[in-house]
Amino acid sequence: MNSKKLNLKIAFTLFLAIFLVALAINTGIAEEHAEEVVVTEASGDVEGAAEEAVEEESVPYVEDEYRNFFGIDGRLVVWIISQLHLLFAAFVLAVPLFVVIIEAIGAKTNQIKFDNLARELTKLLSTAFATTAALGGLLAFALYGLYPGFMRYMTGVFHPYMFIYALCFFGEVFFLYAYYYSWDLLKTGKGKWLHVFLGVMLNVFGTTLMMLANSWATFMMAPSGIDMKTGAVLDRSAAFFNFLWMPVNIHRIIANVAFGGFVVGAYAAVKFMGAKTEEDKAHYDWMGYIGNFIGLAAFIPLPFAGYYLGREIYSASPVMGNIMMGGAFSWTFIIQAILIGMMFVGGNYYLWNGMARIKGAERYTPYIKYINIVIFFCFAVWLTPHNLPLSGEERALIGEQYHPFSKFFGVMAAKNAVVNLLILSTFFSFLLYRRANKGETMPFKSHGNGARITLVITVGLTVMYLIWYSMGLKGQDLNEAIRPYMSPLLTCIKIQIVALICALFLTFTNRGKLAQTLLFVVAASISVVYFWYYGFVLMEKANMVLRFLSVTQVSIVISTLIVNTVIDVFLFKNAKEVGGIQWGKIPNRAQYALLLLCVAIVTLMGLMGFIRSGLRMNWHVYGFMQDKSAGAFTPSIAYMGWVVALIVFLFLSLVAIVFWLGSLYGRKEKHV
Amino acid sequence: MKSFLKSAVFSLCILGFFVFVCMYVTGLSGGGGGGGGATGINPEAGEAIYWGDGQCHTCHSIGTSGSATRGPNQEGLAARAEERAKEAGLSSGLEYLVESIVDPSAFVVEGYDNIMPKVYDAPIMLGREQIQAVLTYLQTLGGEPNIEAVAKYAEKIPEASGDAVAPWVPPIDVDIKEGELVFFDESRGVTCSKCHVLNGKGSKVGPDLTGIGAVQTPQYLIESVLKPSEIIVKGFETMYLMTNDGMAYNGLLVSQDEDEVVLMVDEDGAMEEYVFYPDEIAQMQKQDVSIMPGNFQDMLTTKEFYGVILFLLSQK
Repeated sequence: MNSKKLNLKIAFTLFLAIFLVALAINTGIAEEHAEEVVVTEASGDVEGAAEEAVEEESVPYVEDEYRNFFGIDGRLVVWIISQLHLLFAAFVLAVPLFVVIIEAIGAKTNQIKFDNLARELTKLLSTAFATTAALGGLLAFALYGLYPGFMRYMTGVFHPYMFIYALCFFGEVFFLYAYYYSWDLLKTGKGKWLHVFLGVMLNVFGTTLMMLANSWATFMMAPSGIDMKTGAVLDRSAAFFNFLWMPVNIHRIIANVAFGGFVVGAYAAVKFMGAKTEEDKAHYDWMGYIGNFIGLAAFIPLPFAGYYLGREIYSASPVMGNIMMGGAFSWTFIIQAILIGMMFVGGNYYLWNGMARIKGAERYTPYIKYINIVIFFCFAVWLTPHNLPLSGEERALIGEQYHPFSKFFGVMAAKNAVVNLLILSTFFSFLLYRRANKGETMPFKSHGNGARITLVITVGLTVMYLIWYSMGLKGQDLNEAIRPYMSPLLTCIKIQIVALICALFLTFTNRGKLAQTLLFVVAASISVVYFWYYGFVLMEKANMVLRFLSVTQVSIVISTLIVNTVIDVFLFKNAKEVGGIQWGKIPNRAQYALLLLCVAIVTLMGLMGFIRSGLRMNWHVYGFMQDKSAGAFTPSIAYMGWVVALIVFLFLSLVAIVFWLGSLYGRKEKHV
Repeated sequence: MKSFLKSAVFSLCILGFFVFVCMYVTGLSGGGGGGGGATGINPEAGEAIYWGDGQCHTCHSIGTSGSATRGPNQEGLAARAEERAKEAGLSSGLEYLVESIVDPSAFVVEGYDNIMPKVYDAPIMLGREQIQAVLTYLQTLGGEPNIEAVAKYAEKIPEASGDAVAPWVPPIDVDIKEGELVFFDESRGVTCSKCHVLNGKGSKVGPDLTGIGAVQTPQYLIESVLKPSEIIVKGFETMYLMTNDGMAYNGLLVSQDEDEVVLMVDEDGAMEEYVFYPDEIAQMQKQDVSIMPGNFQDMLTTKEFYGVILFLLSQK
């Protein structure tokens, strides 16, 4: 009976929604044509003559370059729809990436809980997929309808790839539904691995789809393969494989995984808070932990991918690069810093709260307050602007344009240093969490030759990368006066290489913890302390070398993260547990941290979407096709804030509805 | 339901905080968004362009305003420009400023890279009037603005490019590489390189097409291939020559002086030079018909034709 009532309610709600949408559209059309109707009625008495006159006066059809949407600015409509589509697409592309891994872990370790989790996430995926597709269709209609001239050109350039896109879409749909509906059919033995294969194919098609669409967006930013004066297509494949295509692909894949992880985390948080039984609480606590783990794991390398993308934007167009970091968009990066800072704080806060449910974690709690201080310090430095417009009075009081103390925190040298410190600190938090319920480490020798070979390969690859990069530094064609400023960078890389090799031997002699400490100390000393100072020296004397400093900094930190992760895996493999993890015994406030992470990353994606798209300023295709519409100007940050907030609100509301609809089926099953 | 509502309120609070920060930052940065701006040739308009559409501030600070260090600080620029003009042998500091904007690589200040873009080109594309406004503003940095003097340099400042250019794409999907093959393929009768030189390859019967894409429009090229006699490049007109013994020749005039006339004549597809002495020439007259075949529409497929056009347009 209850189920029947519920179905009736859903049917009525849907009917009401469709009715209201139809009414709104009809009203718009009616208003648009109101004027025509009045004119027609007024001339009703001379109807026949008017018809003839219309025939005589009919003018040839001229296509508009721009239109609006029932009086609403076309740009605003496209902005909202494209960002909503992108957010849903990010979710449906990212979730299969880790669902397949979770399922494979479950199949390999025979733990049904992993399989159940993968299945639950796929259920969310299948309901979100239809919304993504619908928004994609709406976006295409909006673009062709509101920007016909621009889309005519884009279709001319990319039409062969558009057909491939459609084929990939079919492929994705096929494998998604095959993956979802064959779960019970292929649940044992070889069938399970065939099922995993279906999931892999789903990812292949999904990722290809994303990369195809990325090329259109990056072509607009850094066009290639066309005549920049006439627009003639000279080399279609060059237009596709344009300069920013791969940096955006890499950045988006990593960001999507972080996004998917945090959205899943928020879903679990809401479910956890509403759970009635201990069993449900334990399940959703674990799901939240997995979501946060995936989100943070992808979030840590994201600034590096972002840095790479930013650097390539500079290389593609120095003017665009300057607009991004020193021009109209520089202030948006302060807002970005606030959001990213919130996420790092939230992620760490969740980990620390999570340690409360782990017996043995109390050994590490004294460290948390120090990590807390470090993270807030980094956050504060990151959001310090370089220069604030000071009033005459303030300037007179201070005696100079910049604040004598805070000016040292506003420059790139300081920001780069704290980003690396933030990443190192979060990684440290993560290591503490991993070992919270573990007792003494296992001797490295006990893991056999496989562990040795893995570690040698890991250290070998990171050392090879550092050598390759330092050779690149040596080969730079620099002025003789500037060249000496490169040598400290090379020395630091050498020190890191020595530290990595020492860490390898220390681990072999069962002193893995010491090896990890050594790497942390060396990386923090070089990349944070020394390079912070040296960044100022370079700003004063050899500005050109600054870009090499940043990459050196990142390379040293990332080599530390990679090697320390591998050492940590072997240190605690098969280690005795001090106490079990009491899933479900986590305070509710930790769930709010998960919600914060989700809202912050959705907002961050909205903000970054604005920046990436806005960097083209008044160009549809940068440097070739100008945007001559009324909305060609860059809106204020406040306006952007309202629009992005609206988009985030719409996205979260739609997600809530979609997930709720998805859960109805499960509820019915349970009821039965 | 209660937990969901709590979550919703919490999420809205975060969004509210985000909007608050955006509004606060807008007030702090003084950035009210684009869309408007001063106009005319005056220092006020120039200042707005310098800190706005011109993007000058992303590389040049002025005193303590701005934080860019990629280009020289422009404080006291007008006075400095006078000194540099003297060193460079220019008539005035203004001329130095004009030269520096029109050709940014002309004077690169020591210690800085040659990275300044041409602001009248894409993507900045300042109009002539806007550049003049910026010049008047730059004059105020350590000097007095002189709008009349700036106006005299108007002709020297290029007009923003790109505005009037309509995008051209071939009506069908073509491959530029196929166009290149057709151009140089000597195995067929329509080889363009039999008569045209391109990047040092081919014969010099017709005009050299090296860099043709930089100087000619697609429409011109299409017309020249389909209707070669419509526009004949000067020096490549066909000459009709009749000898005293009644033989008639049509060819390109290679040279002509008191002693001889040399014609390049098509002999069954191969171009050969013929020398005539003045006493054997009965009649000689320029023709309105090009020596270039006028039936390319029959000899090339549509795809090949547009491929050749695209290939020629890419030659810059």
